[in-house]
Amino acid sequence: MLRKVLLLALAAILVLPIFAGCKPKEAAPIKIGVELPLTGDFAYEGQGMLKSIQLLVDQTNAAGGLLGRQIELVVEDDAGDAGQASQVAQKLVDAGVIAVIGAYNSSATEPASVIYNQAGILHITPSSTATRLTEKGFQRFFRVCFLDDRQGLFAAKFMKEVLGAQKIGILHDNSTYAQGLAEHTKRYAEQLGMNVAFYDAINPADKDFTPTLTRIGGAGLDAIYFTGYHAQGGLLLKQSADLGLKLQWVMGNACNNPELIQIAGVENAAGTYVTTEPLPKDVNVPEAKKYVEDFKARYGEEPASVWWMMAAEAFNVIRYAIEQTKSTDPKVLAEFIHQAKDINGITGPILGWDEKGDRLGTIHVAYVISETGEFILNPKQPSP
Amino acid sequence: MQQLLQQLINGITIGSFYALVALGYTMVYGVLKLINFAHGGLFMWGAYIGLTGLSVLLALLAQGGPGMIFPIAVIVIVTIAMVGVLIERIAYRPLRSAGRLAPVISALGMAFILESLARNIYGASWKTYPPGLVPAGRVALVGDVRISIMQVLVLTVSFLLMALLYLFVYRTRIGTAMRAVSLDHEVSRLMGIDVDGIIATVFLIGPGLGGLAGMIVALYYGSFDFTLGWIFGLKAFISAILGGIGNIPGAMLGGMMLGIIETLGAGYVSPQWKDVIAYMILILILIFRPTGLLGERVAEKL
Repeated sequence: MLRKVLLLALAAILVLPIFAGCKPKEAAPIKIGVELPLTGDFAYEGQGMLKSIQLLVDQTNAAGGLLGRQIELVVEDDAGDAGQASQVAQKLVDAGVIAVIGAYNSSATEPASVIYNQAGILHITPSSTATRLTEKGFQRFFRVCFLDDRQGLFAAKFMKEVLGAQKIGILHDNSTYAQGLAEHTKRYAEQLGMNVAFYDAINPADKDFTPTLTRIGGAGLDAIYFTGYHAQGGLLLKQSADLGLKLQWVMGNACNNPELIQIAGVENAAGTYVTTEPLPKDVNVPEAKKYVEDFKARYGEEPASVWWMMAAEAFNVIRYAIEQTKSTDPKVLAEFIHQAKDINGITGPILGWDEKGDRLGTIHVAYVISETGEFILNPKQPSP
Repeated sequence: MQQLLQQLINGITIGSFYALVALGYTMVYGVLKLINFAHGGLFMWGAYIGLTGLSVLLALLAQGGPGMIFPIAVIVIVTIAMVGVLIERIAYRPLRSAGRLAPVISALGMAFILESLARNIYGASWKTYPPGLVPAGRVALVGDVRISIMQVLVLTVSFLLMALLYLFVYRTRIGTAMRAVSLDHEVSRLMGIDVDGIIATVFLIGPGLGGLAGMIVALYYGSFDFTLGWIFGLKAFISAILGGIGNIPGAMLGGMMLGIIETLGAGYVSPQWKDVIAYMILILILIFRPTGLLGERVAEKL
């Protein structure tokens, strides 16, 4: 009897590892790569984005994972550097990830996207907005952020619908970004039937813009949209007040910075509108509210920028695609995302993607600078 | 018409800044035939020293107001003047007999050192003067043409300083000695003039004025960073050449002209084209008057 028990026990010891060996094989984790700047100039953003992704991954795993498998993040730091980006991209490919979230800045995303494309991996960038990224014909590359083109459309609609402007001016600073945004805005403004009566650029190295402002003041504009950076934006606000001009200023997302108000002076900045991506706390969908609450509960701070939220959104899209297709094949996932419509995103409804992989719709909102010098969400927003 | 008047006011304000800084270039050139590229850096340091002086005073007195400008201005003038003399002593005087190229390179080196020091000590972010130091408000001149109290103050102070400097150089004994030194160092020495002392005086006045101009510019625009010296230094240098370098009334005229031409170019053509227009005119003037607008009329340079 004792021998039988011992034999059974022995058999069990010998056989169990076989089952044990089988079980992890069935439920091997789904590996998802993260390529972000965790050191260097963009470390603050990169770290916050990683926290966001980790939050969602842990929630998913706690709820049983996807397709009965756990999610495993493979994290690499590209420091925002193009050279380092290609190296870590290769490392992620070698680690056998099915999808990558990253990178933060366009100059790191660009070289990495070539490597992911060759390896046939699904690649979603949460925050790189350079237009040419999606012009290489990569079938498995997507953005969850929006191009400046969308901001131009939003700004034009805001000025027409909310401000009731008919005759507007657009001022840029000749930088690639500001000029691009200005051109998009001009195109959409004209499509919407507005008259762009003033269109010009300042030299950002200058300090005195009174000649340009005097000219703008004489043009009888309903609103003037400045697409450059906050240092010049602040000077423009200050000097236009010094000249006694009553201009309705609207500024682009590069002016979404408290230094704008510091440079302009609170009394000169008050009443200025800024078109920008919203702060996570100002996104008005239940998914966003839940994300902000969960983030606060876990890390004891609010998600500080929209890019943190966009990183969570990138994971959300991958998770949704895996759930819907019951597959972890990047090809199947990419084809699904191309067709996908009306997903309940964390950053608001996801209408879908165009054939290049750029997200449709817009997330931009208008903030207004209050009398006390704070950016508050403007109560009136244009139609979506 | 009203817009033209407003643009002229804008232009004269910008021009008076250029002129104030140009004085420093022109004075040093007058006595040393040296283009003191460090002048833009001293100008920029005036803005920073003013800010530091202000925070120290605010901490000591625990109250602020328009009256604060005067003690700060004195602090700025004294500090920057001393730095100017120090730079002359360590970077220019040892090279005085080394030909013309070595001191210019030394001056360029000083310019880089001053800029890097400012960036390292104060950081690269924008600095702002607290509001309320200068009474705000505008006066309507004709119709919609307005001039701010700040502009009135800036213009008054600039013209006053330029007039005082002119009187000093042309009506006092030290001024006469300066003009003598600018003609010939050796002969001046034989006449019993303390040439080193006179050069040191020039490096006291030029940078002192430049530092004050830096503080005024920073107060006027409200904000600045460590690159402030480059653009104003360059424009002021051009103003000095345009007016006739070494010539004090020339520096004033050159600054005003550059400011007004730039303003009209930006106001009536396009801000993108204003530099093209301004420098085309500059080149034309130099082709026809290579010594600058007032370069010939006054025989003795400074």
